[in-house]
Amino acid sequence: MYKLILKLAWNNAFLRLSRTLLVIIMIAVSMSMMLSIQGIYDGMTVNMIDKTKRSDSGEVSIYNPEYRLNKVLQNSIKDADKIKAEIASRSDVSAVVTRLSVEGLSATARKSAFSNIIGIDLEEEIAFGEFDDFLKEGEMVLGKRGAVIGSELAKTLKIRIGSKVIFSTQDSSGEINAMAVKIKGIVKTSNISLDATALYVDAKRLYAFLGVKESEATQIAIRSTSETLQQALQARYTKLDVKTLLELNPMLKQMEDMMVIFTSITFFIVMLVVFIGILGVMYVSILDRIREFGIMRAVGMEYRHIRLQIFLEALFVGLVGYASGALLGLGALLYLQEVGLNLSQFADGLASFGMDTILYGHMELSYFTNTFYAIISASLLSVVLPLKKIKNLNPIDVIKADT
Amino acid sequence: MIQIDNVQKYFYKGEEREVHALRDINLTIEKGEFSLLNGPSGCGKTTLLNAIGALDTVDSGKIYLENRDIVALSENERTNLRLNEMGFVFQSYNLVPVLSVAENIGFIMKLQGFSDSETKERVEEVASMLEIDNKLDSLPNTLSGGQQQRVAVARAVAAKPKIILADEPTANLDSKNSTALMNMMRSLNEKEGVTILFASHDEYVIESVRRIIKLEDGAIVES
Repeated sequence: MYKLILKLAWNNAFLRLSRTLLVIIMIAVSMSMMLSIQGIYDGMTVNMIDKTKRSDSGEVSIYNPEYRLNKVLQNSIKDADKIKAEIASRSDVSAVVTRLSVEGLSATARKSAFSNIIGIDLEEEIAFGEFDDFLKEGEMVLGKRGAVIGSELAKTLKIRIGSKVIFSTQDSSGEINAMAVKIKGIVKTSNISLDATALYVDAKRLYAFLGVKESEATQIAIRSTSETLQQALQARYTKLDVKTLLELNPMLKQMEDMMVIFTSITFFIVMLVVFIGILGVMYVSILDRIREFGIMRAVGMEYRHIRLQIFLEALFVGLVGYASGALLGLGALLYLQEVGLNLSQFADGLASFGMDTILYGHMELSYFTNTFYAIISASLLSVVLPLKKIKNLNPIDVIKADT
Repeated sequence: MIQIDNVQKYFYKGEEREVHALRDINLTIEKGEFSLLNGPSGCGKTTLLNAIGALDTVDSGKIYLENRDIVALSENERTNLRLNEMGFVFQSYNLVPVLSVAENIGFIMKLQGFSDSETKERVEEVASMLEIDNKLDSLPNTLSGGQQQRVAVARAVAAKPKIILADEPTANLDSKNSTALMNMMRSLNEKEGVTILFASHDEYVIESVRRIIKLEDGAIVES
């Protein structure tokens, strides 16, 4: 009997082919658009988080608790080299870097600006977060007198490759001291703060210039996929602040939450469209066939079997719509991942949020599983109202209409 | 086989437009009968047929099908009774358009849970009797009216019901098809021993049946 019900449902689902195709197209287009929007939203957030991790904090960063309140050399981590070695030996850690950073003034012959000089080991930074990937102009070398500068700071100081910059700050003894650097490269990390203030120099040169021991650092940044690393490190280094990326960048957290809200609203609207589409088609289809259902009831078919048939019809339409939408959405997401969405006309606005002008899509299996459950639920729910018509149907009324 | 005792049926009961559709009906229909409920339009023949077929309820009285009072049955029990013990032929053929002729004929058997092979064997047997065995793979909308009505009869008879109730089965057929259909139904009644009760005022049906039950204004005037 169930084979017969299955056949009835399948044949009836596609009996009015143009009508059913219209709903399938509607589901497919809505779903693929929703997947694309979700992919772009997530792509933006994932991209920003990824760049912040690679250029700055890693998944977890360690600071002297005083340093985050007062960024002076006295508040550095004193035995940073030992901590770094200990952390690097952990199996759940893929990379660790130490950085020495101090605030000061960068000046050219014509302009000056607040900046943050950061001493790095370039090789370690490349291994840590492909730092060379952020190079926008020039070359990624530091050397004895070279420096790499953030793109926005370069713009403020009107600097070109080869320009000379004087950086002045207070050294560890409290004296105001200055160092001259030659700009070798300009980097764009999409981290607003770094791009606007960072001046990267070789760590060894900065230690010597500031008179700081090489065992010290102001930040230890760590790459790891472990969810429990922060708690483990905080328990181990109780006198230090161990912070996650999102704790250090509350704006990213806010953005992530905002994207979830945007996606949820889009998701809800699309599902509503699917629901109304299938409801319309199923309602008309059932009204068209009300005589057929009346006769089925008259000859002894139970309501539960008719209900099963109607549910299956909606399910088939939903499934075909889902499969088409998933294929279309997959194509759109792959395109967005590869080629991206060029929004160069909004470059200024996007840059103020630290975003690139080309937005690349992101894709997760959960996009497809979530839409699957939602479309199937919307399909099944859409027949509840039409089913009431059949439940209250008296076969006599259909037979009377015969005569 | 069917015993009807003092059945009364009203439409719009208690309203100004109240109609006394069945008046004190008492009737017995024996197994294997080939009978007709006859009378002018509005005399109550379809109402009585629907009451016997457990499609409609009555206001008072009893209807026994093999000593079982069908008036007292619940909705689900009546659905089961219609499925397992009755066959219906309607004025409009009411076939399922998306199923083939063979699937339409075997429809009730499948609902009853017969296997594919049992259904196929019986469908071929009945289709052969009704001379539609060359149309088994066709869809209903490709058949003529006469052929569609024969499929409807085949559907009703395939599951071997105790009684077939046929309401104006020839109303949409021309004289040739009406005669052919009645001959085939009579042949089924004789070969299969199935009880068939018609409700009709068509002369082809009147000429074919062995017993005529006449109704007027909801009452039996001759049986």
